[in-house]
Amino acid sequence: MPENLHKNICEQSLFEAFFKQHSKNLHNFLYYKFGERLNPQDKMQEAFIKLWENCKKVTPSKAKSYVYTIANNLMLNEVAHQKVVLKHQKIKPQEHSNESPEFLMEENQYRKKLENAIANLTEAERVAFLMNRTEGKRFKEIAQILDISTKAVEKRIYGALKKLRKEIEEI
Amino acid sequence: MEKEYLIKKWLDNSLTPEELEAFKALEDYEALTKLSNYTKGFKAPEYNEDEALKTVLHQIETKKQSKTNWLQPVLKIASILVLCFGAYYYTTTLDTTFTTDFSEKISVELPDHSKVDLNALSSITFNKSDWKNNRNVSLKGEAFFDVEKGSSFNVNTPNGIVTVLGTEFNVKQRDNFFEVTCYEGLVQVTYKNNKTKIKPGESFLVLNDLVINNQTVYSQPQWLTNTSAFKSLPLKEVIAELERQYNVKVETKNINTDLLFTGRFTHNNLDTALKSITQPLQLTYTKTNQTIILERE
Repeated sequence: MPENLHKNICEQSLFEAFFKQHSKNLHNFLYYKFGERLNPQDKMQEAFIKLWENCKKVTPSKAKSYVYTIANNLMLNEVAHQKVVLKHQKIKPQEHSNESPEFLMEENQYRKKLENAIANLTEAERVAFLMNRTEGKRFKEIAQILDISTKAVEKRIYGALKKLRKEIEEI
Repeated sequence: MEKEYLIKKWLDNSLTPEELEAFKALEDYEALTKLSNYTKGFKAPEYNEDEALKTVLHQIETKKQSKTNWLQPVLKIASILVLCFGAYYYTTTLDTTFTTDFSEKISVELPDHSKVDLNALSSITFNKSDWKNNRNVSLKGEAFFDVEKGSSFNVNTPNGIVTVLGTEFNVKQRDNFFEVTCYEGLVQVTYKNNKTKIKPGESFLVLNDLVINNQTVYSQPQWLTNTSAFKSLPLKEVIAELERQYNVKVETKNINTDLLFTGRFTHNNLDTALKSITQPLQLTYTKTNQTIILERE
């Protein structure tokens, strides 16, 4: 967080810097938590607009938690508990080039299972796990974003991993 | 325990080279990397951060503009108020006018409780707002005034100005005819820059630019008791008054309308009134609809 040089974030350059620093994390947080259906990008933008409107009341140190809370509430307002849908992107991470039909089918099945399993995680676990696995963020970074301890992050991610493996390998 | 430690370290991307070797040796290694690799596919979609910032700033800008829109309704309300106030101000300072039609008489009370009786086909105009300092009344036609005491009271007519300080008087202004009769107090008539004071029982008459001073024996104008009285006045004035009181058209055949007439006629019965006028002058009348023809006998 930038030092408390400024009382608020009403200055546009400050606001822009703040946006660049946090918008992506906020967007991804919303995406992992609520899925793609509720338009996380819109909510993220709305939250920042709200921040601007209330910039006189929000100190820079509070700004981050402010936008997260606002965005989260906006999401919750829309639909209480829709099942999370994450879109598996078409970019394939593995380097197999000669894929047999069986392999493709197996791969598809695996992806489906994984998608389901991830959707069944708790919101807290899913957010932490996906931030860690998809973006390669370290525990400490995630802890900072979520405003929780590193230990808690570790617990969430490890717990998520155990759940996923259990669900995928047993069924 | 060792395994959990390694997995956690792997998750945190903080395995040392030795630990990595140990991790790779784990039986779960395959399953873990597979799971991890597939999970990468669920990465949040990329979006253009600058584009998003632009949208946000743009929306902020438009919201700012819409925020200044509070001025618009305020201005609307203000303009309505101004209009209302203006209309109110305009109407209250507007001159008040009372007008009578043919054979109509009305009684008007002025703001200071002075009373004005308006004879047929006359009109009176005054301004309520400045009444205390400025008791000005414009009159066309005939009216009887009973003025309360106070500052000077002016009756402006096309023929002259009548000024009083509190009295009863009658003003009759018709074409080529201007008569002021005083019944109580003192009245001053300004006619062509000549000031004449009239005492009770006197009347000031201008007929065809000729000033005549007359006397009256009545304590109030006769038209207030629904009769019109004339003392040595040309017949045409009598006829004009008859026309005003009964809303009729009177035509004369071979009659000198400058003939002087002394007498009266009632406002309640046209036949009686016609008789009162024609008999003394030895005339006859014929009545068709609203037209009356006067002829020599």
